[in-house]
Amino acid sequence: MEDRFTIPQKFRLAAYLLIGIGVVSFTLGFFIDSQRTWANFLLNNYYFVSLAIGAAFFIAIQYVAQAGWSAAFKRVPEAMTAYLPVGGVLFLLMYFGMHSLYHWTHEEAVQTDRLLQHKSPYLNETFFFIRMILFFGAWIILTSVMRKISVKEDIEGGTRYFYKSEMYSRILIFVVALTFSLFAVDALMSLEPHWFSTLFAGRSFMAAVLHASTIIAFIVFMLHRMGHFKMLNHSHLHDFTRYIFMASIVWGYFNFAEFMLIWYANIPEETAFFAHRWDGVWQVLFYANIVINWGIPFIVLMPRKTSRSKPVLIPVIILLMIGQYTELYYIIWPATVHKASFGLLEIGCFLGFTGLFSLVTATALTKASLVPKNHPYLEESVAHHF
Amino acid sequence: MNKKYFTGVFSDEDSLVAAFGKLKEKGLKPDEVYTPYPVHEILDGMGNKTRISHAAFFFGLFSTIGLIGFMYYVSVIDWPLHFGGKPFNAFPSFIVVNIVATILVITILTLFTFSVRAKIFPGKEPEIFHPQATDDKFVMLFSSEFSKEKEDMIVQIVKEHGAIEK
Repeated sequence: MEDRFTIPQKFRLAAYLLIGIGVVSFTLGFFIDSQRTWANFLLNNYYFVSLAIGAAFFIAIQYVAQAGWSAAFKRVPEAMTAYLPVGGVLFLLMYFGMHSLYHWTHEEAVQTDRLLQHKSPYLNETFFFIRMILFFGAWIILTSVMRKISVKEDIEGGTRYFYKSEMYSRILIFVVALTFSLFAVDALMSLEPHWFSTLFAGRSFMAAVLHASTIIAFIVFMLHRMGHFKMLNHSHLHDFTRYIFMASIVWGYFNFAEFMLIWYANIPEETAFFAHRWDGVWQVLFYANIVINWGIPFIVLMPRKTSRSKPVLIPVIILLMIGQYTELYYIIWPATVHKASFGLLEIGCFLGFTGLFSLVTATALTKASLVPKNHPYLEESVAHHF
Repeated sequence: MNKKYFTGVFSDEDSLVAAFGKLKEKGLKPDEVYTPYPVHEILDGMGNKTRISHAAFFFGLFSTIGLIGFMYYVSVIDWPLHFGGKPFNAFPSFIVVNIVATILVITILTLFTFSVRAKIFPGKEPEIFHPQATDDKFVMLFSSEFSKEKEDMIVQIVKEHGAIEK
């Protein structure tokens, strides 16, 4: 089934325009309020890197579980992982903004702080960037190897490549579980270096899986609208919904477990994070996160009818896109900017990164047939019905 | 069980579905179909949509409200105790208990609802209309009163694809 995707001229122009808006916002931002701009930079880059990692994990799950339904759509998450090299480079650019974001990078702060001294063998700038290079290196190597195998399968066929991909998927799940946890701790949790939470990594990982599966579904719908993926039917929709629904519940569970244990144990080192965010806008955001990322998807996607209908799914997907933003905003802003500022700068930066991500993903989609040609489960996926 | 009934026995899914389709065209419907595994056409064709998931949802809803109410009554109204400076209404810690207890309530109540609706209880005489209905055969059961003319039609259709046993 040859189904080539070419980027429409309008889409390319729109993406360039968005990137332009982003570049302008960042440049202006660095002159006006560099700290807030770096916070934006971290938030947006983390947002899209987590989407790419979630997408990589999505492919790996499909292979390990030998899932048939998703075989026809696997080029979409594969294309999303193409953002990882870009995200990696952008993360290394944060070298110039470390002092604006991370308290532990200040020499004088470490000297007067026993806890930061204790943590300094791990939390220091050199090791931070070594880790970043290692994490991104591992992700880029694994995802590009899987991509290569997948493209080779198109040409040569046979089940050999399927088993190879399955093997790499196992490695990828193991590596991502370890590295992404550490990555979330490094990038987000170390914004508040005095705070401890063991569940933070799990929650960040689940957030990545949740939002990546919504974006995968969203891209599939967009491509369907453009006339690709003609075989998309209600059963496929239901399976996409199941992923969103499942990940949403697990995210809610992690989020609640983290909060409840900290609230119950009432240890000052742990409660500081929430106590700091227990008034004004932050408290509203705390509840909004739960409602947006768990409450509404849980209730709306529960019935069979709504989970098979696109008019219901698309608003939920857009809501979850906002949900990932509010969650990261809730984590990053009180620790760096210290006041709830949301304005043109935030919108511009987000649009810029959106344009970049869309362009990278779309370019990766054009490089191979949109539907894999020789995947052993392709026929099952096309005829999927339950 | 004393009622007069007859069964149509089929050895494979295709002939069952074919006979079922022809019966439906004539506006006839078996009272029950026993299959070794779920068959989509039969599930849709029999038209008996299960409402047990709705029942389960409402059991869950009411048990959540009831359990939270109960815990609120116990720990705030009836017997308030201080635990490590927490408020009497320690809501976050109620949720875990509530989830587990709700699952228990839903499971038990749904089981009972199903048993009542399907008229199953311990010590009930098994209703086996055909000895191979629990085996590898596909069995249609006709137990309602049919007019002579309709019955002949059913027998004729079933015999095309399978066997009739009276």
